[in-house]
Amino acid sequence: MDLSWTVDRAGDASLVRCRVHNDDAVSRRVRIESRFDAPVLPPRRAGVPEDGWDATGVTLRIGPGERRGFGFAAPSPPVEPPVTVASVEPVDSDEPAREGGGFAGDEDAGPTAADALRELGDHRPPRAAVDGGRGVDGIRTLKRAREADDPRDEDLAVAAPCDSDGGCRDAGSGAGERGRAAPEAVDEWFAAIEARIDRAERLTDADVETATAVVADAGGVDALADLDERVAKDAERLRAVSERAASLAERAAATDVPVGALDRFA
Amino acid sequence: MILAVAGGKGGVGKTTVAYNLAAALGAVVVDADLGMADLPGGRGPDLHDVLAGRADPTETVRAGSVDVVPCGRTLGGARACDLSALGDAMAAIERERGTVVLDCPAGRRADAGVPLAVADACVLVVSPRAFALADAIRTRELARELDAGLVGCAVNRVTEEPPTDAIADALGAPAAVVPADPRVGRSVAAERPVVDAAPESDAAGAIRELAERVPR
Repeated sequence: MDLSWTVDRAGDASLVRCRVHNDDAVSRRVRIESRFDAPVLPPRRAGVPEDGWDATGVTLRIGPGERRGFGFAAPSPPVEPPVTVASVEPVDSDEPAREGGGFAGDEDAGPTAADALRELGDHRPPRAAVDGGRGVDGIRTLKRAREADDPRDEDLAVAAPCDSDGGCRDAGSGAGERGRAAPEAVDEWFAAIEARIDRAERLTDADVETATAVVADAGGVDALADLDERVAKDAERLRAVSERAASLAERAAATDVPVGALDRFA
Repeated sequence: MILAVAGGKGGVGKTTVAYNLAAALGAVVVDADLGMADLPGGRGPDLHDVLAGRADPTETVRAGSVDVVPCGRTLGGARACDLSALGDAMAAIERERGTVVLDCPAGRRADAGVPLAVADACVLVVSPRAFALADAIRTRELARELDAGLVGCAVNRVTEEPPTDAIADALGAPAAVVPADPRVGRSVAAERPVVDAAPESDAAGAIRELAERVPR
């Protein structure tokens, strides 16, 4: 059994590509284990690991003379060698080969929901269909010309918070924003939510004294009437924002602007 | 016993057959059409909540003339569903309630396949037209690959004598003919299963015939 590999580093993770060649004249079942001090992140389809993978490696059935390529990631710095052949066993010749479609399944349990998930097309409606219909609730994207400090940024859009009654606050002058984690308007929005959550937290399982203090702070029970509802709405919006922020951050991290090459073209 | 009611094509009456079959079996019917739910909805947690890990499966059963596990109506909810949780959820309802009928979505994607993988057996619903049969045959193949034994098929909404034998041959299971009967069509929305509303009708007879084939 021949095993070769390359390891690439991507941020904190290592990406391992392997090729295995069965130079015997019979089928073999080979167990290949990761030597990383971290769990194996196997190839997945529809969120389900490919057949044969587990937290420490993969078990493959390889026909006579067959070469097979595979790969995985591990959240850890590269090690050398990244993989080892843990065992090679003969394959029982009566065992049916699973070639040409069909569901893998376990040897005795038959195909499972995980097999169906892995082999069949994704059922989920596309993200665009979901977000397009609902929008990111309460957040309106508005264009804002940045002051002349960087004309190329004119088209950059920022999200500004909107109140439920429809009024949107101005997104701020934009000056002095650089270097901060979030634009001013976003900070303000977070601060308002934080204040509401603080209040709700103080009222959660509160004793009479704390409750009275909070009510007095708020200026009466009426001011707190819709607090529960607003905090629930806040939670929903925060989740939507965090989902969007995470996906944008992912896209941002994946970009690579070839400035040098562009300069040569210019 | 977990029984999947599948059919490949949309609009052939899977939901209607599932609902009425559940009535005849005294079973809970689960709306597993995550993207386009058809069974009566209602307040409270639904299958989207279960598959998103927000609700206990048994607390979603809504009592009615047929007990229903409704499905959420939003695309966002459908997107958030983790189908790998369906097996455990259905097993939990089966433990408590005995027989579970799964109303499957159309197509051959994971949302149609996973209920078949979870089910012990399946019933196929076909329309008496040739084009629908092709989809039913593909779904039959899928059910076979996923180990959901075919116990019978319902030739649904029949107006003139259909080639029942040819359909049964093509699908490899006995076919029950469900005539086009407005009482069947109304049964889901009115929550009056035809076996109760018109027990003497041919449609009710066909549903009972199918129910008898389901091993229990």
